[in-house]
Amino acid sequence: MIHYKMSRREFIEKSAQCAAFAAAGAALPGLFCESARAGRRFPDIVVSEGMPGPATRGAVRAIGGMERFVKRGVRVVIKPNISFPNPPDMGSTTHPEVIRELAALCREAGAASVLILDNPLRDSELCLERSGLKTACGNLPETGVRVLDNERFFEKVDVPEGKDLTSTRIMKQVLAADVLIAAPVAKSHSATGVSLAMKGMMGLIHNRWEFHVNMDLNTAIVDLCTVLRPHLTVIDASRILSTGGPGGPGKVIPLNKIIASTDMVAADAMAVELGTWYGKTFRARQVKHIRLAHERGLGHMDIENQVIQEVFV
Amino acid sequence: MRFQRLIQIPVFILFLVLLGFAAYPLPAWFEVDVFLRLDPLIALGSMAAARAFIPRLAWALIIIVPALILGRFFCGYVCPMGVTIDFSDRIIRRGGKKHGQNAFENVGRFRYLKYLFLAGLAGTALLGISSVFLFSPLSLITRFYALMIHPLALMIVNAFLDVFRPVFPAVGLESLSFVTYKVPYFNTNLFVAVLIVGIFLLALVQPRFWCRNLCPAGAILALFGRKPLFRRRVSEACNGCGRCVRACPMAAIGEDFVTTAHSECIFCLKCRDVCPEHAVSFGITGKRHPPQPEIDLGRRKVVGAGLAGVAAAALTMTNLHHIHGGETPRALRSSRLIRPPGALPEPAFQARCVRCGECMKGCLTNTLQPVWFEAGISGLWTPKITARLAGCEQNCNICGHLCPTGAIRPLDMEEKKHAKVGTARIIKTRCIAWEQDRTCLICDEICPYNAISNQFAAGHRVTVPVIDENRCNGCGYCENKCPVTGEAAVIVEPLGELRLATESYLEKARKRGLVYQARGGVEDHFILDTPREKGKRKPIPLAEEEKREEISLPPGFILDE
Repeated sequence: MIHYKMSRREFIEKSAQCAAFAAAGAALPGLFCESARAGRRFPDIVVSEGMPGPATRGAVRAIGGMERFVKRGVRVVIKPNISFPNPPDMGSTTHPEVIRELAALCREAGAASVLILDNPLRDSELCLERSGLKTACGNLPETGVRVLDNERFFEKVDVPEGKDLTSTRIMKQVLAADVLIAAPVAKSHSATGVSLAMKGMMGLIHNRWEFHVNMDLNTAIVDLCTVLRPHLTVIDASRILSTGGPGGPGKVIPLNKIIASTDMVAADAMAVELGTWYGKTFRARQVKHIRLAHERGLGHMDIENQVIQEVFV
Repeated sequence: MRFQRLIQIPVFILFLVLLGFAAYPLPAWFEVDVFLRLDPLIALGSMAAARAFIPRLAWALIIIVPALILGRFFCGYVCPMGVTIDFSDRIIRRGGKKHGQNAFENVGRFRYLKYLFLAGLAGTALLGISSVFLFSPLSLITRFYALMIHPLALMIVNAFLDVFRPVFPAVGLESLSFVTYKVPYFNTNLFVAVLIVGIFLLALVQPRFWCRNLCPAGAILALFGRKPLFRRRVSEACNGCGRCVRACPMAAIGEDFVTTAHSECIFCLKCRDVCPEHAVSFGITGKRHPPQPEIDLGRRKVVGAGLAGVAAAALTMTNLHHIHGGETPRALRSSRLIRPPGALPEPAFQARCVRCGECMKGCLTNTLQPVWFEAGISGLWTPKITARLAGCEQNCNICGHLCPTGAIRPLDMEEKKHAKVGTARIIKTRCIAWEQDRTCLICDEICPYNAISNQFAAGHRVTVPVIDENRCNGCGYCENKCPVTGEAAVIVEPLGELRLATESYLEKARKRGLVYQARGGVEDHFILDTPREKGKRKPIPLAEEEKREEISLPPGFILDE
């Protein structure tokens, strides 16, 4: 496992370098990006430790900076998990600081608009209010926070690679967006083991229930992820809901970590292996939908073969 | 604009605004059910039927006491039913006979009815049955606006938004392009409509027919306002043209144009405004007149009406579905009748509930629905939790705070979370996990109280949902979200509900061993790791060959090879 720790000084130096490279990369697009990829300029997975807000910023910087994903004038959609009207300390929703930091980073990178979208399980407005997201992000400039559950905001999309799920209705704003950022919270889930970035994509569609009734849930999640592939995944593992997920109440374990990756499967895998679930540790391949996604080539669950960078802020 | 309208219309708008504010979250600056509490009939009728002083209803004194001075000013200036009838009268009577409507031989014909209704109401209250909901103007009109007009208005607003949705981003109103209102559903709404529209149509007989002849709240005020200090007076200048008589919406002016039935006068001042000689004025001096023409209201009629009320109450009490008092509900009680959290024990609940619809209008999830005859005849239009439509939101307690009569107790959030309304039960033959070995478990996922867990069970390849009844609050989210078509595979029944008149739900729940973990950070192990406490349900035993290593895994995880 390629695994190296960085000191704070080293981190600052490296980030400066990265920023320089990124700036240069912006100037000389084709040439530099190729070499950057070839030289593994950016790690596959970043694990950033610290308070939710700063750790998010550190994680995004280490993965290549928001400029790597968000070009000037693009429309960004951020998908948090605010399915339940629970306060952040219950661990069932993404920490509002994480979302606020991501939205700020997008704007700093020049995004034309940032939309924070979810279709919660419980009453939408209550979820927005009690998750703390409304307070944290409600008044940011050029940033919208919306909970959408009405059918008119969704559009039917085919899932060509789908095995069980062949079509579904997805939020129009997501389809129109240039960049999609998944920002789930790391939590247990009574049907799928864990609920992370992949499971979280179910919050962007209209009919979730058919996943349970007419399909194999794990297969359908992977099917959905073939059409909803976030450009960046940032998992909030500042605390994990280790038991009683997805809604809680359950055991909340503080980890003070934020995971970032361009590979949603790798990010999910990292979160599984970092955490303790129901008092035990698990390998990512023990979570069925992560394993299926890996087998179908959506990403890499074998984190031992990935370049992981740890940062401390 | 006439003086009456200058007061009446703003007050009516205030009524509508307060009804609009009857939604989550409730405003802290005002009590939005205040109009209902002003209704003297709701106050006196509910207290009589419930045999209790209801402090919230003391607001009605604001109306009753000044009636001694100002008579029926409430009817003309405050009552939203009065404004609505004024408005509907205009539409219904348009083009109809406008003159001669107050011909003296007819005006008094029905006027006594309101006193008889009042006597009948007293008769039903004598047996502890409330019929306030059929006759209270505030209950009728709040129900009309809450359950009929409110959804229709939202549909119109949505249609408007839909038309302009593509335009909003272009004019800088991007946020509006996401706005859409959830249009609530209401059971029995057509019948609510039939009753109220029927009352409006009585305008074909006489203007303000309801207020003149039927309204028992008006009757109470008329009794208090027989000799008001402030009253109509006519000077010598009167030449007997009779315009005032034709203009009077209440037919309160006598044959001689001078005498006034003060108990009928609502101070609309129309008679003053139409008088060409300026002979009519209102003030605190002037002769007191008896009602004109005299109302023929014999003792015999009143007693008869009272007895009719008693008989009607007795009939509802002998209806098969009537829920009598006592600790144990009757066996015939509907297993789907789930009352809102904090609802009083059923007889007291029905005695107080005026079916105004405030709780249903305010209900965050629209789960509260008016019932038909599920709770007997006397339970018509009382609210129930309709879990298949929506769950009762854990973090919402507004129904109790909206209830004008305290039929639903105003509980704080911690108390409300312990006010168990029923218990969920899995119908295994309908459940796709139990019956078809499918990975579903939505009920477990959604349960806000963590009362449903997945367990391995003998003969099942996937984990199946199991309910811990001591954690179940009966909120019904499981029933609502259950993905099977038609009746859910997990349903809430009233078994184990807590209906407390005064005690603390928190303490009662503790005594019963109910555990509602409403806060985070609590220990909650995977169900197989922890043996249940003594006396609680044990995990379902597995056959020997089924005791694979896999069952030591939490649900959703698979074995590592």
